[in-house]
Amino acid sequence: MLDRASTFARKGIVQLLQTRFVPVAIDQAYQRRQKDAEGEFYRKIAGQGPRNNFKGTTQGFYAAGPDGKLLFYNNNRNPERVEGLMRKALRNFRPTATTAIARGKPDARYNPVPPKGGLVVRVRAKILSGYPETTDPWKRIFQTAVSRDNLWISKNEHAALASGSVPKTVQQRIARYHLVDNTRGEPPMWKANEIRHLDMKITRGKLTGTVRLATASGDRTYEADLYGVVKTSAGKVTQFDLVAKGNFSGEGTYTRGAPKGKFPLAIAFSLADGRDTADAVPPQASRGWVRGYIK
Amino acid sequence: MTTGKEPTMRRSTTPRSTLLLALAGLFLSQSAAAEPLTEKQFLALHKQLQPAEDEPWRTIPWNISLLDARRQAAQQKKPLFIWAMDGHPLGCT
Repeated sequence: MLDRASTFARKGIVQLLQTRFVPVAIDQAYQRRQKDAEGEFYRKIAGQGPRNNFKGTTQGFYAAGPDGKLLFYNNNRNPERVEGLMRKALRNFRPTATTAIARGKPDARYNPVPPKGGLVVRVRAKILSGYPETTDPWKRIFQTAVSRDNLWISKNEHAALASGSVPKTVQQRIARYHLVDNTRGEPPMWKANEIRHLDMKITRGKLTGTVRLATASGDRTYEADLYGVVKTSAGKVTQFDLVAKGNFSGEGTYTRGAPKGKFPLAIAFSLADGRDTADAVPPQASRGWVRGYIK
Repeated sequence: MTTGKEPTMRRSTTPRSTLLLALAGLFLSQSAAAEPLTEKQFLALHKQLQPAEDEPWRTIPWNISLLDARRQAAQQKKPLFIWAMDGHPLGCT
């Protein structure tokens, strides 16, 4: 969230990325572990930087030639600094002849693909109110953030939705992995036994439901009502617009800074059409564990 | 000294007003949680949570495959810029 609204909001950086660099966005938790050509190329680049112990995070901004030569590494999002590093990298960059890297067999664990015949649904969350007023621009970014993730639905589940029912597996996947506050970073997901109540049904094209989620200690909770529209044509779902709205409380290790007490959190779902690059990003909860995410 | 009657004594010493307040609070919180979303609210919230197409970071032609980006960079004689995060940068981080 912070990078989008700071580094990548700077006109000079956006222009450089549109014209002078080839930009790529990755969850390095995949590439630093991948046992395949992409993983090897990433580790070749990142290994020249300070975060070259691939057992831990290697996150940051990297610039490199197509030959893998590192031009800079930086883990500071200050826009002015990043633009300066980018311009310096361009001055130092000398294109060299490179041979193609054979893609080979991708490491299946870290190259998940959406289920064939299934659905990809965009999921966005926003905290509607509850933050104290602030003049801190970084806090303000978090406070107004709209998150993004994808929900994957299998072919069989798609068929069930198209025939007017919401499979339990879909209900549980939505509740556990998508009714989360991911507006400030990677959220904790819900465990199966933290679903205290869950029901969803489709009646004449309207999806309605209620959900109550709570950790054993009660330090994180969400109680929400769901309402949506599901349209079908020729056995396919053509519209899946859904909203969950309710009161959330608590935060996770990587989502510190939530409003105190209970606060309203809304989560919206809509079918992905593939026009947004982010439509191809695997669900956060499927990271290295697709068979656990979508059974 | 603990006696078999102590639990009963404890219950009887809880002020009735406290119990009534607690019950009222429980009732109110359940009512609020159970309040169904209307179609009007659903439409407004769904619209509110869609991103603006003109957000600067969304105008950047991000790749999500490093090898595809490398091939493109080699063809165009450009350097790569890698935005590497914990969690996908185009997703939740």
